[in-house]
Amino acid sequence: MQVEYPKHKWTDKFLLLDMFEGLKTTFRELWKPKVTIRYPEERMEPSDRFRGMFRFSFDRCIACKLCAIACPIDIIYIDVHDETLEQPDGKKKKVKVLDRYDIDVKRCMFCSLCEEACPTKPKSIWLTTKTYELATYDRGDLYFNMQQLEYWDERPEYPGLPDEDAPPLAPGLVAANRQLSGGAK
Amino acid sequence: MNPWMLYLVWPLIKFLIAFVIVQVIVAAMNWIERRVLGLIQARLGPNRVGPWGLLQIVADPIKFLLKEDIVPSSAEKIAYFLGPMLPLVPAFIVFCLIPFGPPPTFAVTHTNVGLLLILALTSTGVYGIILGGWASNNKYSLMGGLRSAAQMVSYEVPFGLSIVGVLMLCGSLDLVHIINYQAHHVWNVFPQLIAAFIFFVSMNAENNRTPFDLPEAESELVAGYHTEYSAMKFAFFMLAEYSAMLVNCCLMVSLFLGGWTLAIGGYGLTTATLKSMGFMGGLLGTVIFVVKVMTFMMIYIWFRATFPRFRFDQLMDLGWKWMIPLALINIFVTGIVVLAAPEMIINGSVVPVGETILAVAGAATVALTLFLIMKPRAHAPKVIHASRVSEA
Repeated sequence: MQVEYPKHKWTDKFLLLDMFEGLKTTFRELWKPKVTIRYPEERMEPSDRFRGMFRFSFDRCIACKLCAIACPIDIIYIDVHDETLEQPDGKKKKVKVLDRYDIDVKRCMFCSLCEEACPTKPKSIWLTTKTYELATYDRGDLYFNMQQLEYWDERPEYPGLPDEDAPPLAPGLVAANRQLSGGAK
Repeated sequence: MNPWMLYLVWPLIKFLIAFVIVQVIVAAMNWIERRVLGLIQARLGPNRVGPWGLLQIVADPIKFLLKEDIVPSSAEKIAYFLGPMLPLVPAFIVFCLIPFGPPPTFAVTHTNVGLLLILALTSTGVYGIILGGWASNNKYSLMGGLRSAAQMVSYEVPFGLSIVGVLMLCGSLDLVHIINYQAHHVWNVFPQLIAAFIFFVSMNAENNRTPFDLPEAESELVAGYHTEYSAMKFAFFMLAEYSAMLVNCCLMVSLFLGGWTLAIGGYGLTTATLKSMGFMGGLLGTVIFVVKVMTFMMIYIWFRATFPRFRFDQLMDLGWKWMIPLALINIFVTGIVVLAAPEMIINGSVVPVGETILAVAGAATVALTLFLIMKPRAHAPKVIHASRVSEA
């Protein structure tokens, strides 16, 4: 590619027109709309493909642990126990029941490899929650258990106050019950 | 009137009023500058304290007063303390000498060597800077101070020379006389366009403003001569810098843009017209003066937002190889034209022919420049695609 720059006339040099051109540019910039978002009062809505906080779906998860294997820094902690279920037709079937699905988000780099590894359709763990306000006042608050991951959208969005409405830690039995009642029919 | 009142009390009161107003303007300039720079750079600037961030003007001094005042242990104590004070004192005294409105009410003093005194006082500002830079015992401070000294000395010459043309036309060092002369002839920008340009460039350089802000080049010298200064001492440097900017803008307006008058050839708001309106007329004149001065302060900010910094050798080149010869040529041409074509009486009125010729030439140059600026120019370089290079 060859570039031809416009030739300077003598008037351009004598009357410093290039400098005035620069002044013109900055003057035009003065009146243009500004990009600043005044954060606590105004908020940015991320695009649909924004890679924000995790979301986890208990109902879709088949407890295969592929996400934990895929995780490059091993921050996904999964506990599973087997349970025998009575099918309606009388057969007995062994199912895996998820007891624990924790992510240590403070160490997470949001690489989304867990999302890629997830075999269910749609994914049971994904990163498209449009939440970017992840700051907390306590380190421990960034350790998310299953319920917190599932109900993330219901958490307060601005981390100004300690979170009191978060669902309490449920014992593994509750999860098993949920699967028994709803998931595996 | 009692001479004590006339020569001591009234000037003191007037000086205090001018001082307070100037300090408010200087404090406000800090906010205005940050805000306008922000707006030009696609952001908002300080907008959190009070409506539109206006209380930033109050918040900044409070912050400066409450901050810890750190003195480096290796600093030369006396010189270190003198550093911020020395540029501040002349910058304040100068406001005694500037006529903000029609004298005697709106000027603190009225001396017939006012211009000379102002130049003498403003040029002492460099001592504080170089002293502060040296006393900090920090190589970056020293570099900043030395750069500032070199720059101020270099640009003091074209700064002084550019005024000579105006003095030749007006025949006085009295700012009031110069302003009245402009009201009865034409603003000096037109006959002294080159001088006005040189004056403006030199005053940018004198105040260490962009594109001549080498003494405080952040990318090279941390903050230049005030690297080691904190709290109120740093604020003093800022105050002195902005006061000096204001002084130079006042000079620019008085010398080249008709000061508080708004008249051409004796028609319009001349000093006599304003005085006939009484106190309100004087106030109107002051408002006109302040508006003109603030316009130039805005141009300072505009320049800062637009131009990149010079290299030091480029700065010296511009000062010695361009500005000084140009100023000398300007003096030469002005002298020849004024001498060769003196005042003539046409239709019973005195017309200074030489000055008129210069004014017409200056106005034509301004008009041509404005026309060429307004005309859209070819911005983007013409791009020839690779496939067409062989053909061309």
